[in-house]
Amino acid sequence: MAHVDTTHAPAEHEPAAHPPAHEEETTTGISHRKLLMWVFLGSDCLFFGSLIATYMVYRGQSIVGPYPIDIIDVPVTTISTFVLLMSSFTMVMAVAAARNGNQRRLIQWLVCTIILGGGFIGFQVYEFNLFRVEGLRYETNLFSSTFFTLTGFHGAHVTLGIFWLICLAVISARNPAGRPSGEDVDIAGLYWHFVDIVWIVIFTLLYLIGGFDSGPDAGHAAAQGWQWITGIFT
Amino acid sequence: MSSNPGHEGALPHEEHGSHEDAGISRFFFGRVPAGVHGGLKQYGILAIFLAIITLIEFLIIVPEGLQGSSIVIAPLVILSVIKFFCVVAFFMHLKFENELLWQIFVAGLVLGLVVALALVLLFGVFRPTPRAFSEPRAMPFEHHAAEEEHHYEALVVPTPCPVGACPQPAAPGANPGAAASPGQALFVGAAACSSCHTISGVAQGVLGPPLDGIGSAAANRIPGQSAEDYIRESILEPDVYAAGTADGLSQDYDGNLMLSTMAGILPSLSDEDIDNLVDYLLSLQ
Ligand code: HEC
Repeated sequence: MAHVDTTHAPAEHEPAAHPPAHEEETTTGISHRKLLMWVFLGSDCLFFGSLIATYMVYRGQSIVGPYPIDIIDVPVTTISTFVLLMSSFTMVMAVAAARNGNQRRLIQWLVCTIILGGGFIGFQVYEFNLFRVEGLRYETNLFSSTFFTLTGFHGAHVTLGIFWLICLAVISARNPAGRPSGEDVDIAGLYWHFVDIVWIVIFTLLYLIGGFDSGPDAGHAAAQGWQWITGIFT
Repeated sequence: MSSNPGHEGALPHEEHGSHEDAGISRFFFGRVPAGVHGGLKQYGILAIFLAIITLIEFLIIVPEGLQGSSIVIAPLVILSVIKFFCVVAFFMHLKFENELLWQIFVAGLVLGLVVALALVLLFGVFRPTPRAFSEPRAMPFEHHAAEEEHHYEALVVPTPCPVGACPQPAAPGANPGAAASPGQALFVGAAACSSCHTISGVAQGVLGPPLDGIGSAAANRIPGQSAEDYIRESILEPDVYAAGTADGLSQDYDGNLMLSTMAGILPSLSDEDIDNLVDYLLSLQ
């Protein structure tokens, strides 16, 4: 922004004066910002991998309730999972619109994504509050600590993503002449989809599989199911 | 721009010739040149496909007999892996990107999986043994009703306990509020002995030897030392003599274990507290 091309008349400050948001030339052929995003997402896998593993390690180890089966609501979470999934769809449409330079569609799809993402967070707030009312606080038992840490960090990712998308929507609404570039939206989209795939994993492990855990003997089912795998090694 | 009728992604862009419509089957299955992107058709189909998978996942666990059973694990994991990679390949259009990005992402993903697997194996999640600790201690949960009484226990996160750091919920049937003696109240309460020691009907701890009958057993631990002295010494200087198999216990115990924990607790106990504890343990014949 600070580098105004001095060979041109400095009076022209309109956005079009920016170089068109073309992919920059790099040795790998991948734009650096995109590369950065993928590297970040790769490392974020480690972050969520450890949080998920921690949940699995302490699964079925709580000795006071509420246990998952007492409060996990699978149907409601299936709906919120669906909402997040659909937000991925609207996001990818926003990316397509941005790439085609269709600013109006871009804003529409971004707003859809923001609403769906907000809906997902709404479900999460509802769920967390329900848990609190039922007596499940962060420090209640191993289940609650690992659960809130994992889903809390995921929710934080979604929230951050929503702010990001709001920024993009506002920028494109105020500045229809080329910003945000297709790549700007693309990178935000990558982040958004990543948050979605993390939820795919969480939904399966914590809700569909782990949501019916009762007291400490939960996880035995998993133990049995995997016995044949561990049997190979031992 | 408004002339664009809603499937903008499918239309080639004026400037970037590479944004061609890949066609549905070529988009999903074919080899397409880099830079190709889908449009409403392709992404719409994928979104419906993913929604259907989610629905199937949900339907799988609707029958009560399948909830939490181990047979659903494999199908659920497979379905969500499919979802996962569909999103990565198409929504994140990794399929149409430089291979380097695949490698970067898969590297992170594999590392994450390895870390997760290592943790899970380290803690023996697939072996039932570690659950031997929590299983006998589990307390049933009743919605709301018991909330008040459980409040104290609820603040404690006990498994696997950093040595002695956390008092155990009293054994079922015991009521710490109405302890039989001040010594017992201390034992399960402020002195936190119950986090390591078992006394039938009062406490369940595994790190230290069970104390049932310690009142009479104590006399036989160190020749020439009375039961009272031995118990007092066990509390004040646990490292002097470590009880073990020689005393007919099931295992050898580590005297330093109790010592290090007691270092944090002893200063808060008065002489009278110690006397009460000793009296109480002596009474366990
Ligand atoms: C960190 C866990 C821990 C805590 C807390 C703890 N103990 Fe111990 N206790 C042990 C271990 C381990 C031993 C066995 C080693 C030894 O005899 O010193 C032991 C031994 C004893 C013995 C001797 C048992 C025998 O069979 O000879 C007595 C008595 C005893 N503890 C009383 C207490 C009392 C009273 C308290 C509370 C003030 C307490 N302990 C708190 C771990 C603990």
